[in-house]
Amino acid sequence: MKTLKIIFIIISLIVFLNSCRDTEETDNQKPLISTDIQDAFPLNCDTLYFGETFNFKILFTDNIELGSFSIDIHNNFDHHSHSTEIGECNPAPVKTPVNPFLIIQDYDIPEGLKQYETNLEISIPSGNENGVFDEGDYHFFISLTDKSGWSEQKGLSIKILKR
Amino acid sequence: MNRLIMLFICMNLISLSEYSQSLFTLTGKISDEHKQALSGASISVTPSEKGTITNSEGYYTIDGIQKGKYILEISFIGYLPVIDTIEISKNTVYDIQMTASALVLQEIIVADNYADQKKKAESLNIEIVNDDYLKQNIGGSLMESLERLPGVTTIDIGSGQSKPVIRGLGFNRVVVVENGIKHEGQQWGADHGLEIDQYAVEKIEIIKGPASIMYGSDAIGGVIDIQQNEIPPDNSVSGAVDLVGKSNNNLAGTSISLSGRKNRIFMNLRATLLDYGDYKVSADSVDIYSYRVALYKNQLRNTAGKEHDIHFTFGFVQKQFNSKFYISNITSKSGFFANAHGLEPRNVDYELYDKSNRDILYPYQQVNHLKVINKSQWTGNKLKIETGFGFQRNFRQEWSQYVSHGYMPAVIPEDLAFPADLERQFDKYIYTSNIKSTFFINDKTTFVTGINVDYQDNRTDGRGFIIPAFTQTEIGGFAFAKHHFSEESILQFGVRYDYGYLHTEDYYDWFQSPGETNTTWSYLQRATELKKHFSNNSWSIGYNYNPENLSLKINAGKSFRMPTAKELAANGVNYHHFSYETGNPDLSPEISYQLDAGLEFNRKKTALGITPFINYFANYIYLNPTSEHDRLYGNGNQVYYYTQCKVLRYGGEIHAHYQIIKPLQLGIIAEYVYSQQMSGAKRGYTLPFSPPTTALINIKYTRLKLKFVENAYFSSDYQLAATQTRIVPPEEITKGYQVVNLALGGDVKIKNQSVSFSLQVKNLFNNKYFNHTSYYRLINVPEAGRNFIINISIPLSVKLK
Repeated sequence: MKTLKIIFIIISLIVFLNSCRDTEETDNQKPLISTDIQDAFPLNCDTLYFGETFNFKILFTDNIELGSFSIDIHNNFDHHSHSTEIGECNPAPVKTPVNPFLIIQDYDIPEGLKQYETNLEISIPSGNENGVFDEGDYHFFISLTDKSGWSEQKGLSIKILKR
Repeated sequence: MNRLIMLFICMNLISLSEYSQSLFTLTGKISDEHKQALSGASISVTPSEKGTITNSEGYYTIDGIQKGKYILEISFIGYLPVIDTIEISKNTVYDIQMTASALVLQEIIVADNYADQKKKAESLNIEIVNDDYLKQNIGGSLMESLERLPGVTTIDIGSGQSKPVIRGLGFNRVVVVENGIKHEGQQWGADHGLEIDQYAVEKIEIIKGPASIMYGSDAIGGVIDIQQNEIPPDNSVSGAVDLVGKSNNNLAGTSISLSGRKNRIFMNLRATLLDYGDYKVSADSVDIYSYRVALYKNQLRNTAGKEHDIHFTFGFVQKQFNSKFYISNITSKSGFFANAHGLEPRNVDYELYDKSNRDILYPYQQVNHLKVINKSQWTGNKLKIETGFGFQRNFRQEWSQYVSHGYMPAVIPEDLAFPADLERQFDKYIYTSNIKSTFFINDKTTFVTGINVDYQDNRTDGRGFIIPAFTQTEIGGFAFAKHHFSEESILQFGVRYDYGYLHTEDYYDWFQSPGETNTTWSYLQRATELKKHFSNNSWSIGYNYNPENLSLKINAGKSFRMPTAKELAANGVNYHHFSYETGNPDLSPEISYQLDAGLEFNRKKTALGITPFINYFANYIYLNPTSEHDRLYGNGNQVYYYTQCKVLRYGGEIHAHYQIIKPLQLGIIAEYVYSQQMSGAKRGYTLPFSPPTTALINIKYTRLKLKFVENAYFSSDYQLAATQTRIVPPEEITKGYQVVNLALGGDVKIKNQSVSFSLQVKNLFNNKYFNHTSYYRLINVPEAGRNFIINISIPLSVKLK
């Protein structure tokens, strides 16, 4: 009898605890980075040019609210990383960097948006105080977060060349 | 393990054929195969629950046995246990000669009796495992071998590395103790395992729930207490050879031990060698993000490894005093999956990497753990004093090809203090001392007090920065009392006070980064010097009630944990996760309150146990992924901050067994944990690495003798895991799965030589499934495919003249 009583108490405790669970749903969805819009740029295997400006155009969506994003363009002359995309892009032979181009930037997304299309002018200088930048294979890395802290990454293989 | 114990008890509960008031005496002599008396052998008679040990001439006497049929069990360390059915209708003499067993097969029965007794005497929920269980369930690492136990899960990386998780809490919230000294490695990281040789383990006790009183800070989630090398029998030399093979990762291994004792002096020597190749999954490709990586012959590229361990134990044994020295060195080298260093997709030279499945290329880790422990014990009439002193050095390196992350130079300069390919290095020196006194006030009351003092010095090196160098001092004192109201009713109460001091050093990058304006370049300061003092008290109160067939326990307590150096002072990019982790120097010690209960019910053919718990953290330390990106320090990565929040957790384990027919047992184990953050940015979310609800249905057939096989068993596990939908960024929902495992084994006598063998088939149907608590889960790497594991133990024994 005593045993039954204890089992009963334990079961009621579990039932009670389960009933006072928060009913509010948590956000379990990652934001999305999509190139599925008109004029999306750059796409995997695209080419950028030194001394020129390009329009970074990509679509960010989230089920609740977007957070912020960052871009990171770094050399991939040693082929150390590959893209997160399907397929390869004819990389040039492995070489040692001399003066590779590098850009790291973070950007806010206006509050309260579920959908955001970037329209960002990014200029790539042809060189710096150390001389002209190296041509070749680069990696274009995009990171996106939503307000809940979910994130999505996209790594594109691109080339940056001299026109 | 609970289940095995219950099973064992079930097997031994045989009803009394008749009931009579007259009492009889059972006497006898226990000797070894050379007819030498065995003193200290244990004899027990069930169901009377009576037991004794043999005297120095090997004789024993058990009085007051009623007429009836009993199961007699005789066991002695280093000898095969004897289990016999006897009929008592008059004063009976039962003599027996025991046969030596593998040194590694010690304590089969002792441990089971011990486990049962210990469980009844502790108000916390504990599981006890002996090396025999380990052999039958051997996995890639010690923790994998224990994963089958209710309430125990692991966080895995690859086939040979895993970290313990008890009821959903892991990392610095679980203490691992080896030979009385807290094992110190890099508990905070998910990408490496425990530096413990599972072949050297003789007995493990797992405490589920907060155990700060005896084990100090960090034991907030539970304790894994590992004991090795019991003292060998007098005037003997014995040894054992263990051979192990695994089909999945082509593992070949051996562990050889040799021990001897002459009067008061004993020693053990053990060497373990393991060598394994890349492990196979039941998939021919892995999708890392959208990039599909082909797997050559289903092998997870570059997950091969090797381990070399050596142990030397020696000591002095006397009736009142014994002192043991344990010296061990564990070395391992293991590769990380080459296509993703951490979560970062990596290009691979397939020709080079697929040439051999046994070579270890970049990225890999190398760990060396040296341990020197002295453990002594003096037992007086009313007082027992135990001391433990330990020195440990944990040295770990991660090697990978230099890749310039963020603003690191494209080509690494040659004049740096560390090699270009050394990504991380942690060098840790730990000095531990424990003193414990037990006062036996009277038959009913025991009082224990103790002091622990720890000091550790941590140095770091390599191109990556996560935590700064630091030193840490911890001093704790406790008092604990246990009172038996009757044999069945025990009350225990303990209090503890701890003081900790942590000193972290400053750290500057070895490369320059641009400032806010992008014009001035400087060596950024990642960590500033911190000096933090912490103190806390904890308490625990527990009550046990063990009437016949029933065991009831309840325990309430407050435990705490000091923030770690990483939680206080991290400030860098964890490229394994694309996260920029920011420590918080204002964190307070984590406080946890827990209510634990345990109910065990045993009948002749059935056993049922339920162990629920409810746990509340007032300020759980949580690494919170935010929506921010950081350019300056974080190199464009998502920012994670250490924060504190209220957490409610509850759950429990259920196990039940039913004896269908005599040799056939059906058992079920189920475990469930629910966690929820009650405040902070992730209110409503669970905690990271929450284990899914699982159930295990087991059927086991055992025979003491099956043709030429002794202690034969055949066992099948049907393992079910529910879909884990309770996730927190950056986790993914993990689908439920079903896996079938088989195991069989026993002891075979070849001439006069006994040989134990066990064969396991894991993942019999080669299912493709994901483990929610695997480090590789986020890059969609499935669990290991079908695996045949064979373990053979050959014991050797020589009697000295």
